[in-house]
Amino acid sequence: MGASDSDIEALWEELVRLCNDQISTPPFARLLSQKFTRARAQQYSIQMAYYVQNRRDCWGYVQGSAPLEIKKIIWQHEEDELIGRKSEGKQDHMTLAVKEGEVFGLSAEAFERTARLEGGEVCFSAWIRLAQRPWLEAIAGSAILEMRNSGELIKGGSLSYRIGEMLQRDLAIPMKKQINNAEHVVMDVEHAHLLMQVARRHAHGESERRAIVRGAQESLMIDRVYRGHLADMLEALP
Amino acid sequence: MGIVGDLLKTLDQMVNDQFDSIEFKNFLAVPLTLERGRFYVVQNALYTSNRRDCWAYVQGGAPLEVKRVIWEHESDELINDPRVGMDHYALTVKQGEVIGLKPEDFEKAEIPSMVRACFYAWHHIAMHNHWLTAYTASHMLERRNNGKIVKDGGMSYRVGKKFENELGINLKRMISLDVHVVADTEHSENISEMFERYVKTAEDRDLVLKGARDSMAIDRAYRGALGYYMEQIK
Repeated sequence: MGASDSDIEALWEELVRLCNDQISTPPFARLLSQKFTRARAQQYSIQMAYYVQNRRDCWGYVQGSAPLEIKKIIWQHEEDELIGRKSEGKQDHMTLAVKEGEVFGLSAEAFERTARLEGGEVCFSAWIRLAQRPWLEAIAGSAILEMRNSGELIKGGSLSYRIGEMLQRDLAIPMKKQINNAEHVVMDVEHAHLLMQVARRHAHGESERRAIVRGAQESLMIDRVYRGHLADMLEALP
Repeated sequence: MGIVGDLLKTLDQMVNDQFDSIEFKNFLAVPLTLERGRFYVVQNALYTSNRRDCWAYVQGGAPLEVKRVIWEHESDELINDPRVGMDHYALTVKQGEVIGLKPEDFEKAEIPSMVRACFYAWHHIAMHNHWLTAYTASHMLERRNNGKIVKDGGMSYRVGKKFENELGINLKRMISLDVHVVADTEHSENISEMFERYVKTAEDRDLVLKGARDSMAIDRAYRGALGYYMEQIK
C-alpha cells in the first residue's frame, strides 16, 4: 500500500522533532555552553574540517546503494560540498573550512598536521558503518545531520548558526567572516529537504518509514557522542 | 622504469590477457541472434547500474582529491555525457530501440543468478577494501575497454562489431557501445593518472594489483555467465 500524504507528513514531523530534541541533549548543551578562546576555536575548526571529510565519505557510500534517480540527487548534493558551485563563484566546503581557519589564525598546514580527535575517529567509523547499511537507513543517517543544521527547522537556530553566534560573542568574529559556518547556515536549509524528496518517492510502507527513522536515530546518537567529545576537547584547552 | 611504469605495464598485460581467457573467448564466440542481442543490451544496462554503485562506493573510501576525480567521472555516466546529451543508463535504454527493446524491458529485467553473484562481488571489493584496491577494481573494467591498450579493441568495440557483422547493425547505431569505445579510453586515462600520485611503495603497488586481479577474475566470471545465458536462448 502506498504512503498517504499524512503518513509522509507524520514522518517529517517525527524527524523534525528528533532534530529539535537533539539540540537540548546534555552533550549538545555542554558543547553550546562553552566559551571560545582562540585556541579552542582553532581546534574546533580543524576537527570540523575532518567532520566535513567524513560527510563526503558517507555520502559516497550512500550514493552507491541508492537507486539511480536518488544517486543523481546525491551527486548534485556533492557538487556543492566537494566541488563548489563554480557558476556562482562558490568554493567547495573543504576549501571553505580551511579558508575560514585563517580568521582564527590557522594556516593550511595546521589542518594537515593536526590529528583527528580520537573520539571523532570512532564516531566517523560509526557513521561510515551506518552509511553502508541498506540505503534508506543510510540516507536518513546522512540527511538527518543536515536537517539538524537547518535554521528553518530548528527552533532557536541550527548548530552552525549557534556556534557562529558563540564565536562572534567570544572572539568578536562576525558571522560573515566565518565563511564556512555562514555557508552551512544557508546551504543546509536547502539540503535539509533531500530526505523528504526521498521519502515521498520511496517510503511507501511502514517498514520503509521505520528504516528512515532508525537511520536518523542512530546517526543522531553518534552525533551526540561526537559533540560530547568536542565539548571534552574544548574544556581541556585553555 | 619506475614502480608506476612497471605497474601500468602489468595492468595493460592483464587487460589484454582477459581476451585470451576461456570465459571471454566463449562469450565472444556465442553467435548473436536478435533475442541474444536484446538479452545482452538489457544486461549491459544492469552492468552500467552496478558500475554506478561501485564507483560511488569507491568515492566514499577515497582521499578527497580522488573523490573529486571520481565525481567528475560520474558526471558523464550518471548525469550527462556531452558527447551524446544524456547519461549512460539512458543511452543504453535508447540503444535498445534499435533492436526493438522498450524502456519497460529494462525496468522489469531480472538479474540472472550468476550475474547477481558477480555484481555482489564487485560491490564487496568497492566497499570493503583499501581504497587503492577498490579504485583499481573499478578502473580495470574501463582499462579493459580501452582500445589504445587492448590489442584488436576493447570489449565494447568487439561486441559492437559482433552486432555489425552478425546482425547487420552498424556500430554507430549501437550508440552506447560506440560511445564507450571512446569514453572508456578517456576515463581510463584520467583515472590512471591517480596512480602516479598515490603509488609510492611496494605496498601501494600490491594493493593496486590485488584490486586488478580480483576485478579481472569477477569480470571473467561475469562474461562467462553472460555467454552461458546467451547460449540458452535458442
